[in-house]
Amino acid sequence: MATTETTKTIGSGFPIGRETLVKWAPLLVLIVLCAFFALMEPRFLSTRNFARILIAASPTLMVAIGVTFVIIMGSIDLSMEGAVSVCAVAFAFCFLWLGGTLASWAWLALPIAMLVGAAVGFVNGLIHVKLKIPSFMASLAMGFVGTGLALMMTGGDRIRIEDELFRSLLTERILNFPLMVYVAGIFLLIAWFIQTRTTLGRNFYAVGGGEDLAVASGLNVNRVRIMGFTLAGVFFSVGALLAVGRLGIAETATGNNFMFLSITAVVVGGTALWGGIGGVWNTLVGVLIVFVIGNGMVVIGLPGYVQDGVLGILVILAVILSTDRKSISFVK
Amino acid sequence: MSTFIKDFIEKEKMNRRNFLFASAYGLGGAAALGALGPSMARAALTDPTIAWSYRNRTNPYWNEIVSGGEAFVESLGMSKDALTHLINEGSSEKSLADVKAILAKTDGNVALAIDTNDAPNARPVVESVAEAGGYVSTLWNKTDDLHPWDFGDNYVSHMSWSDEGPAEQTARILLEAMGGKGGVVHLGGIASNNPAIERLNGLKNALKDYPDVELLAAEPADWDTQKANQVMSAFLTRYGDEITGVHCANDTIAYGVLEALRAEGIEDMPIVSYDGNPQAVQLVAERKILATVFTNPHWGGGITAALAYHAAIGTFKPSEEPNEHREFYGPTIMVQPEDALEFKANYLDSVPTYDWTDFWGPSNGPIIYK
Repeated sequence: MATTETTKTIGSGFPIGRETLVKWAPLLVLIVLCAFFALMEPRFLSTRNFARILIAASPTLMVAIGVTFVIIMGSIDLSMEGAVSVCAVAFAFCFLWLGGTLASWAWLALPIAMLVGAAVGFVNGLIHVKLKIPSFMASLAMGFVGTGLALMMTGGDRIRIEDELFRSLLTERILNFPLMVYVAGIFLLIAWFIQTRTTLGRNFYAVGGGEDLAVASGLNVNRVRIMGFTLAGVFFSVGALLAVGRLGIAETATGNNFMFLSITAVVVGGTALWGGIGGVWNTLVGVLIVFVIGNGMVVIGLPGYVQDGVLGILVILAVILSTDRKSISFVK
Repeated sequence: MSTFIKDFIEKEKMNRRNFLFASAYGLGGAAALGALGPSMARAALTDPTIAWSYRNRTNPYWNEIVSGGEAFVESLGMSKDALTHLINEGSSEKSLADVKAILAKTDGNVALAIDTNDAPNARPVVESVAEAGGYVSTLWNKTDDLHPWDFGDNYVSHMSWSDEGPAEQTARILLEAMGGKGGVVHLGGIASNNPAIERLNGLKNALKDYPDVELLAAEPADWDTQKANQVMSAFLTRYGDEITGVHCANDTIAYGVLEALRAEGIEDMPIVSYDGNPQAVQLVAERKILATVFTNPHWGGGITAALAYHAAIGTFKPSEEPNEHREFYGPTIMVQPEDALEFKANYLDSVPTYDWTDFWGPSNGPIIYK
């Protein structure tokens, strides 16, 4: 599924053996990993464990999808940790201030948090485009601003969200999977729709695939870039909402680790860091690979002190297997 | 011409000889003075600058420590701005440089409370302060071979905490709640951190008396709520119903564990934790956590500054105090459901007013080296 979509979009699909293999490699890696962990510990394959993996992966999936759009454009967005923190904290404050339960006007805190995310992304894009600061630097700095803002708002405290209705994201299950997994699924489909069925989505590929060509064709590249960063900000905020839903806590540390996890997931999934290749399904596979590794290592009882090292090695292996970029970029 | 040169050389020889004599005398004098101890140089200070050197204030723990330092300064009738803050941002080099700067600025007229950021940095800091005639009390970090009593009066005291004993106590509460049988998992801090090691050891010590309880697994969760959440989820896959109790290395880990259990609809799992954060104390009151341990950083920060200050102005003479008044463990308070609300009212909702001249009252015995 992943590859047919991206193939259509990029329009570079020569069904040659090696290239097809590279395209399907991330999914193969995921399947091999699952088979390996299942062999070591059969309980890994249980539905309840997959629910656990998906609960853990949902917030990261949202953040990774956001950054996927930016990476497809050939830029990078490293503001996710600050953006997630500031969205989570802003949401928590608004939510409690407006009544503290989804049954009241407090539901407005959800769109407010997404607006905050969009604003962070918009400013990010503006700084990158208008001040001509490389995106990694602009967004990294913006991330620190976000972390600082979140720290200022909370004073280092944790804010607890106890509302049963909001927490039903985690506690209510349909077919053994909690609501937050379905919410993440819906946003994944929205992202897929944006990627394949909108002009904006296609323009991301145009900018990432060959910016000169895009400019020559009369595309307002700056506008596309700013919109890309804004869209990423919205997805970061959805990730923040799911993270708060999962733990019931909003704090400055809510954004911790999202940078490593999401960028790793995007790259492992087969989206090229220089843009133009990949898509949201690749990112889904990448996120699942990262979280299957994390879950599987504990489930098979690997000692804690070797887990970090093994994670690093598996990530490198996954990237080697899923990227044979040279041939692809020549084909382009 | 030649006689002039000859005279000149002669004169220079004499000068050099005199210089050498003078230097030798000077060095000897200095050595003699040193042998008598730096405390001879200045017995007590008047109106010393009170300084706290620490990591930074954005960390809630250090914020508590420093607020204790400020409360002490206010108890002297000064505004809390009178406390000089030396912020090292996690750099031992900056920590030492700051100390040297304030010694130079005040000509050694300093009462310094400090966490030196890492253990090896304690010695140069203490030596600099003692040499300048200031007074220093340390918290947390020092090497085992560095002792206050080797520096006369100027190295006033060192306070630290041992987490092994209290962690063993919480473990016993947990194991009792489990009915002395079943399986326990431990979620630890960053594996190389000393408190993380001590807290796991505490659990292991307690387990020796409970042969029917199996330690199913101990994994680091890096003091992190989200990581703890994921590790606990994976534990549930691996061990499922075998898990009948959870031992957490600190409160932030316990939050993640509680949510991982809530996701599975498990509400009554016995859990113990550590640190005594306000929210954890609330959860103890609600019996969602069975016990946590409070180390009273506010008192620790205040009393460390108070010890340095009172030694500096001569309220007491450190060298006349027994060793357990110079190296001692900080207080630990066990918080359990029965007393959680009372504890919260007394320690967290309103900060108690401490007698900052009761230097050793709440402390917890001499430091024991293994």
